[in-house]
Parts: sequence; C-alpha cells; structure tokens
Amino acid sequence: MNIIETLQDGLRKGFKTSFYLAKILLPFYFLMELLKGSALLSYISKAFSPLMKYFGLPGEAALAFVAGSAINLYAALAIMIPLNLDWKQISIMGLMLGIAHNILVEGAILKEMGTKYMFLTLARFVLAVFAGITVYRIMQVF
Amino acid sequence: MERLYEILLGGFKLCLKMFLIIIPLMVCYEFINRSNWFKRAEELLKQPLRLIHLTPKSIIPMVSGIFLGIAYGGGILIEEAKNKKINPDELFLVSLFLSTCHAVLEDTLIFVVVGGKFWWILGPRIILAFSLVILTGFYFRLRGGNNEG
Repeated sequence: MNIIETLQDGLRKGFKTSFYLAKILLPFYFLMELLKGSALLSYISKAFSPLMKYFGLPGEAALAFVAGSAINLYAALAIMIPLNLDWKQISIMGLMLGIAHNILVEGAILKEMGTKYMFLTLARFVLAVFAGITVYRIMQVF
Repeated sequence: MERLYEILLGGFKLCLKMFLIIIPLMVCYEFINRSNWFKRAEELLKQPLRLIHLTPKSIIPMVSGIFLGIAYGGGILIEEAKNKKINPDELFLVSLFLSTCHAVLEDTLIFVVVGGKFWWILGPRIILAFSLVILTGFYFRLRGGNNEG
C-alpha cells in the first residue's frame, strides 16, 4: 500500500463526502430548528400521552419521545430530565430512543445508501414500541 | 433576528463539525481498507458472518454504524454501499441491524449519565438486532434471494 496515495485518496473522499453530507443534512438541521420552535411537536405528543402508560411512563414523556424521534437525543433529554423518572423508565426511554431517534436525518442517509428507507424508518418506530412494551413487562416480572 | 443569527451560526458549526469528523474518518477508512491485516480479518470472519447471512463486504459498514452511528458513520456507510456493490438483500440486512442497533456507545452512555442502566438499554437492542437479521436472512434464503452466500 502506497501511504501517500492512500492519504490523498482518504482526504479527497473525506472532502467529497463532507460536502455531500452537508448538502443533505443542512436543510434537515434548519427543519429541526423550526420544529423546536413550533408547537407542532407538542401537538403531536398530546395524542400519544395516554399511550405512555403501556411503557410505564408518564404522559409527559410523549413529548420527549416525539422530540427525540424528530430532532435528536439531546432535545429528548432536555424534556425528559425535569420529569425525574426512575432508572427503569429512563432505561426504557434510552432503549426506545436508541432505536428511533434522529429519524429524519438518518432516514436521509439510509436513502442515500440505496436502501428501503421508508420501510426501515417505519420499522424503527414499530421496533421501538415493541421493545419498550416488552422490556416494561419483563421489568414488572422482576 | 437574534434567533436567526443563532440558527445560522449553528448551521455553520454543524458543517465544521462534519468536516472535522468525516475527513479523519475517511482517511482512516482508506488505510484500513487497503491494509493486509484487514484482508486477513475478512478471511477469518467469513464463516461467522455467514451464520448471520452476511459477507465480509459488510464488515466496515457494520463496525462504522455500530460504533460511530448512522449520522457520523454516514459517510463511510454511503461510500461502502456505492462502491463495494453490496447486494440489495445483504444491504437491507445491514441497514436493518443498524437501524435497530447503532451508535451503541454514545447513545447508551447518554442515558446512563442521567440514570439509566447500561445493559437494560443496550441489551434488548442487540438481541433484537441479531434476531431480526437472522430471521429476515432465513426469509431471504427461502424465497430465493440475490446470491446470498
């Protein structure tokens, strides 16, 4: 392996990929900033609040989950921390959000990879819900 | 106006962050891709990977996605998907795995810091990811996938 050549190729790919990803991700960044400032997310989460009990979570956690999915984990944390959840509830949030966060941006990347991104994005929500309910049940047994 | 400035600054910081992370990553990736020990690793992992219906072509995407996550590993993931010509079924399995289980260290630790328990957060994801890939892989085999191993 030629070190100089490898380094040059790596740098070239690095720049090319960075520009490419920046073009894709920047619009989503602005979109997410808009979402943060709008009432859309809290509106959506009102619909989900009653369902939170199936995960052992309070109704307010719905907004954390919606924010985590649409924006990112840090937005979800900001909403979640003041709720003072116990370790079980935090773990379930971590599990569910781990699967279904940053959905918009990661969906865009999955699309660029050439995968069935719509299906996968939907699947992530389904899996997150499934995992959350299952682990909640298991925790209750222990 | 203040807010607009904040958002624009944030956008600029995002671009900067991406360049600073992706460029070194891609350099490392080039070196690893061409190294001899990686070729040997591909040989060694061929059989274990077969058990989960994958080929050595998936090693780099999997490792990048699992440790770096889809957003930061995105550059590598897209590059690999386009260049290595991973067959569609296998690519689907890899993205299915990663969708369920990516950025395992960063995501999990964030929640541990605020009071969660590490293995309750990560464990189910790993189990779920492997189960889905193994089951879906069998389904692909049965229905006659695109040259699957």
